[in-house]
Amino acid sequence: MALADFLASLDTLAQQARDAFASAGAAEALEAVRIEFLGAKSGHLRLVQKGLGKVDKSDKPAAGKRFNEVKTLIESAFNDAQQRLAGGGPSETLPFDVTLPGQAVRVGHLHPITQTIREMKDIMGRLGFTAVEGPEIEDDYHNFEALNIPLSHPARDPLDNFYLKCAERAAGDSATHPLLLRSQTSTVQIRVMEKTPPPVRIISLGRVYRPDTADATHYPMFHQIEGLLIDRGVTMADLKSVLRLFCQSYFGGDDQVHVRFRPSFFPFTEPSVEVDMNWQGGWMEMGGAGMVDPNVLRAVGYDPEEVTGFAFGLGVERICMRQHNITDIRALYQNDVRFLSQF
Amino acid sequence: MIVSWDWLKQYVDLSMSIDELTDRLTLTGLNLEGVEKIDSDMAIDLEVTSNRPDCLGHIGVAREVAVLWEQELKKPAIDLKATGEKIDDLASVAVECPELCPRYTARVIRNVKIGPSPAWLADRLKSLGIAVINNVVDISNYVMMESGQPLHTFDFAKVSGQKIIVRHSQPGEKFTAINHQEYELAEGTCVIADDQHAIALAGVMGGADTEVSSQTTDLLIEAGDFAALSVRNTARRHNLQSPSSYRFERGVDPECIDWASRRCCQLILELAGGELADGAVDVAQPAEPRPTIKLRFTELPRILGIEVATEKVQKTLTDLGCKETHICDHCIKVIPPSWRADLTREIDLIEEVARIHGYEKIPEDAGVKMVASVRSLEDRVHDQVRNVLVAAGFDEAMTISAVDRKWVDVFRPWSTEEPLVVSTPVLRRADCLRQTLAPSLLSARRINETLSNSTIELFEIANVYLAQPGKLPDERRMLGISSGGGYSSVKGVVEAIVAAVAPGNQLEATLHDDKFFASGRGAQLSLAGRQIGVLGEVSPWGLDQFELRSGTTIAELNLDCLVEFAVPIRTVEPLSPYPPVGRDLNVVFDEEVRWAEVEKIVRTQGGDLLESVAFQEVYRDSKRLGSGKKSLLLSILLRSAEGTLTNEQADAIRDRMVADLSQQLGGELRA
Repeated sequence: MALADFLASLDTLAQQARDAFASAGAAEALEAVRIEFLGAKSGHLRLVQKGLGKVDKSDKPAAGKRFNEVKTLIESAFNDAQQRLAGGGPSETLPFDVTLPGQAVRVGHLHPITQTIREMKDIMGRLGFTAVEGPEIEDDYHNFEALNIPLSHPARDPLDNFYLKCAERAAGDSATHPLLLRSQTSTVQIRVMEKTPPPVRIISLGRVYRPDTADATHYPMFHQIEGLLIDRGVTMADLKSVLRLFCQSYFGGDDQVHVRFRPSFFPFTEPSVEVDMNWQGGWMEMGGAGMVDPNVLRAVGYDPEEVTGFAFGLGVERICMRQHNITDIRALYQNDVRFLSQF
Repeated sequence: MIVSWDWLKQYVDLSMSIDELTDRLTLTGLNLEGVEKIDSDMAIDLEVTSNRPDCLGHIGVAREVAVLWEQELKKPAIDLKATGEKIDDLASVAVECPELCPRYTARVIRNVKIGPSPAWLADRLKSLGIAVINNVVDISNYVMMESGQPLHTFDFAKVSGQKIIVRHSQPGEKFTAINHQEYELAEGTCVIADDQHAIALAGVMGGADTEVSSQTTDLLIEAGDFAALSVRNTARRHNLQSPSSYRFERGVDPECIDWASRRCCQLILELAGGELADGAVDVAQPAEPRPTIKLRFTELPRILGIEVATEKVQKTLTDLGCKETHICDHCIKVIPPSWRADLTREIDLIEEVARIHGYEKIPEDAGVKMVASVRSLEDRVHDQVRNVLVAAGFDEAMTISAVDRKWVDVFRPWSTEEPLVVSTPVLRRADCLRQTLAPSLLSARRINETLSNSTIELFEIANVYLAQPGKLPDERRMLGISSGGGYSSVKGVVEAIVAAVAPGNQLEATLHDDKFFASGRGAQLSLAGRQIGVLGEVSPWGLDQFELRSGTTIAELNLDCLVEFAVPIRTVEPLSPYPPVGRDLNVVFDEEVRWAEVEKIVRTQGGDLLESVAFQEVYRDSKRLGSGKKSLLLSILLRSAEGTLTNEQADAIRDRMVADLSQQLGGELRA
């Protein structure tokens, strides 16, 4: 038996015994409790003592010491109860130190990335966006072509992606689509739009992969959260407003939160913008956004004359790291329990 | 793109402050990366997105400034006097691969005097951090940074046969670049050659043989256009990225090629003397006509959410260099300028209008429609699982999705197929997409052991990847656990998860032999006959694979499968108002009898009256019980919904249980 298990069973027993003795209301009941816990033949304490024999030899001293402590503790609980029933009330004679620490309870911790994603999902959920997930291994049609990224685009370079080796090919009419670890979660949006007629109002999130050398700010795997809203009459003003609401919720409801757009370039949106929010007197980069490119809408069978839409993407790690003052992204994936237990 | 403040001033009035300039440029598409003071000048680092190669020269940036501040763009005038022979008598150009070289122009200047550049020219390049070489090389760099068109000057005397051939490289062809390194050229590389060998990598880098040196007297000035993909591949393959390749990869202005060539000649004649040959060799594919683009005014509010005045639209587009061919109440039609190959569609014009008009004019308080969102069952279940694990004292880990090949065969609970392999390792040697989370968690465990962390209780929720022929891989969401506790403590956690997600389902364990698990301490877990996971104490051999010092128990559960058993909405059972009655059973069995069999009989016999059955302990004593025997102590709690159970009733139930245990499993009540 592992030492930890044995000690845990001792602790449980001590707690149970204390509770039982404390709640025994009459001499008869007290005797029953005494037999239950301190009975010479098959009292719980006796049974646990047998367990002591099964503890690894090297752990015996520690286990024995604790066993004796618990035994003393249970016996004193019995004495207290006896005195109490004899009319003395709770024992006032035994010293007790109220400043001793309580019994430790080990509670685990959720990974900071999970917590960040949970918070983002919650907020976007309140704003009417349903969270969806999709495959991490994608064909290049969904990762590139449908997103208006042509074969000649530098983003498709084999050196900038994790293509799968060998003859792994996706099914479908064109059985020649190479597979790769997705480089963005927009792939999920394509898959949803292919299956769902508009309106669509989703966030897609999950792991994405790019061959960056791991350093303080880069890691070959990271997380993205991307929003998509397609409907009749969706405009850039809606995009700006949704992002502002998100920032307000995420950073604490202040109506002094504003967002600004800077022109940018992404193949799957046009106009494309970088999104900043005001932060400590300056502007903080939040992510990229834009109006879904008409080519993308057409690729999934939507009519860009009928519907418009916006999309935005936020880097989960960046926001998580800034909020928690994490200066090295690798700390997130090292899984040092001292790091994890701070969240 | 680094822009010199002093240089920029040559083309447009800069009456604003540098902050005002860079703020506005940032908000209209040229993001400020930083400003550095260099002598009396300022080097402004602007980020140019890949769709805007027109801003990879000072004139292009000046054009943006001119549009934003409604200033005039002052482009240098060129007046060239050819005093030499006819170029056709001096040089010839043959383009053998027009698909890689849509245009090639050459001019020749003879009897130049190579020397140092004048201070003004050297200063310009210094501000940009470009090395100063000699007047001719500096001029070609200068004109590139002015116009965005890369140029190359050859020492014409060294061009064998006075012949320029643009062709594919030959198999095994070698080339020495101006960095004096020899490269074996990848097949299909576009090279500039003379009648002997390659003298430049088209659009990427010149060659050492024809490099302009202090002895050079005759020059051939190349200005052309090379296909983006070919230039990128050449630069990548030979690891030779240059300012020139950077520009060709993004596309050059076809109508600026000749201007840049003439501008370069003008400056050479001015600063290095010589005679310009008459005319130019110009080998060009017919240029594709630029499209006329229609912008419907109603599209602006439909996309942007704001109205933009027609006059503003018209002025913005024409200021940017578009040629207006039509305007009416409904729309404007324009032909975009040659330097804006990115403008081909209506939406492209909308973006231009929006960014010049200013994104700050778009409101951030639009009344976005309210709709309901739905949380998926998967999401709810994953949260329930996480909550149980955190309450049970586990920390959530996150590990990379690929593993080292050597870990694939260590433990294979879900597949014996070959793993999917990535063409480059995701991290270090990890190039196999994982088929189980266990190796990743054990490796995280090892890191914690190395850090002397005493309590290491980890879990992760992530995908495993199993190949499926002819389909996208099967990605299954798994829960992996690695604990310092033993089999039963981790089993307790798994049972708590099942109870939290799928109450009413009984987790079944069957002994599972696997080299990875300690003998007799590994199990397959199932729900209603479906395999849902594995659980076991890792064997010493398994621990060795990960160089772990102390023991660990691992579990892996298929959460996709667990979700199918989830009970998202709970319904209550009526509670009996009557008190329970407890009984303990101490029964001796043969060692082979399993608890699961005992429990099943007890539950069957107990029926509706059995509220719970709890295992208390197992006791072995060969003297008192006989060898190969064990005694199981279990407690039952009985309760009726109809009335208080009497002692006699409870005893009768217990006796029937004992009778069944005896009959079916050979159990004997222990006195």
